[in-house]
Amino acid sequence: MSPSSSSCRQIAPDLLRAAMGEASPPAAERVEEHVRRCAACRDELHRSRDVDRLVTSLGRTPVAEDRSHAVRGDLEWRLAELRRRAMTCRVWNSPLGPILIARSDRGVVLVEYLPRSGDVRASRLHRVHGIEVVEDTTDTEAFYQQLLEYLAGERTRLAWPLDFRFAASDFQREVLEATAALPYGAVTSYGRIAREIGRPSAVRAVAQALRRNPLPIVVPCHRVIGGSGSLTGYAGSKIDLKERLLAVEGVRTAHAPRDVRILRAAMYTVADRDPEYCLPTCGSLSTLPLARLTLFGTRERAEAAGLAPCTTCRPDLHPLSA
Amino acid sequence: MGREAFEVVVANHHAEIYRYLRRVTARASEAEDLSQEAFLRGFRAYRTLPPDANVRAWMFAIATNLYRNHIRTESRRRAAHATVRSRSRENDGEGPEGEAMFNEAKAVLERVIEGLPLRQRLAFVLRKIHDLSYEEIARSLGCSQESARAHVFQAFRKVRQGLDGHALPRPEVPV
Repeated sequence: MSPSSSSCRQIAPDLLRAAMGEASPPAAERVEEHVRRCAACRDELHRSRDVDRLVTSLGRTPVAEDRSHAVRGDLEWRLAELRRRAMTCRVWNSPLGPILIARSDRGVVLVEYLPRSGDVRASRLHRVHGIEVVEDTTDTEAFYQQLLEYLAGERTRLAWPLDFRFAASDFQREVLEATAALPYGAVTSYGRIAREIGRPSAVRAVAQALRRNPLPIVVPCHRVIGGSGSLTGYAGSKIDLKERLLAVEGVRTAHAPRDVRILRAAMYTVADRDPEYCLPTCGSLSTLPLARLTLFGTRERAEAAGLAPCTTCRPDLHPLSA
Repeated sequence: MGREAFEVVVANHHAEIYRYLRRVTARASEAEDLSQEAFLRGFRAYRTLPPDANVRAWMFAIATNLYRNHIRTESRRRAAHATVRSRSRENDGEGPEGEAMFNEAKAVLERVIEGLPLRQRLAFVLRKIHDLSYEEIARSLGCSQESARAHVFQAFRKVRQGLDGHALPRPEVPV
């Protein structure tokens, strides 16, 4: 039988597939059957198999100018860069309205109150250059759950890894770190924070730094108020949110005309770094400026912060009326 | 979250993806740029990948897409075909006699593969050199599995014809 006979032409495609090892079992059988009888096709099958082996051997030989090692080094450097710039975010619904939580590879980088629409495009993330933000449904979920517990008063600590990169300056960063150290349920003044960071006259600058706090709630700037006892400001003009956050922590406030104030006379008081907490009437406490005081709405909160009752005024024996 | 870090993807697949691109591109610099870009894209899209996805096939698909766009965007196609390659590859170590034959046959084979139509060439390299399944090739090329199969078949037919009249190294133990 010559290779150009009709049966040879018919078997040719299956013969090629058989040489590649991709013929179906019946086709492979037909090919076997055919080449038993046809020497020309048998040769062709062997030659095609040789070609197949040659092709496959290409995969085992090195490519020309293989620079994969150097290229991978470059790639890893670029990925590290990208990772530094990469952030994920999601807008969550909270009792305080829509809140955006963004995180980087180092930790939570932004907590932001958004307008009621919850439109992520309103976020300041979209005004920052040099970062790459993607929305992610799960990446910040654990933080959100803790935030809900916190707002419900079921959790007193948000032990989140924080990334302070949105601090505009070293000064703001210092202010944020000092504020982050304020205990749950405590209230102090901008002046006190200014003293904490060794810049007692920078009261207004401290207030400005906290106004632009990129990490509200977790860096509890709501615990910092004006020297007069007025809540002054919060995230722009969201005094009502500040009041609610303080209420969660047991700090009561009173509305005066055009003002919301803490009730200093109804709060346990700590002077400077005193290890004891007092009644507000103890000694000369009532005459000290708020820049030297930390106040607590309840004894439990003061004691949870590691403070002991004063042995003179005995707030444990004569608690303030609730 | 919960899936392996992207570093692991790089560690497991970078060398192979680079070599794949090196095999289909005309110049080493193209393979370098495309492989970088493939992994940067992979990094960005990684979180959206279903946890049970085949990461290797996915990286091949990204690399293939990038390469096809790269070919398409400029008149690089002609340039790529006109580029004379001078490749110095090591042989399979088949002994001094087989060596020359092997190198000669391989040079012819590479020229034939370079001359294949783009989709046939990619399907062929993915199947025969990187051992991807037809399902994976179909996903890479955005075609049906039948088309992927047909591309590989046509490519093999041309490769077989292209090697007509050239001596081929024979395996020591005939099959």
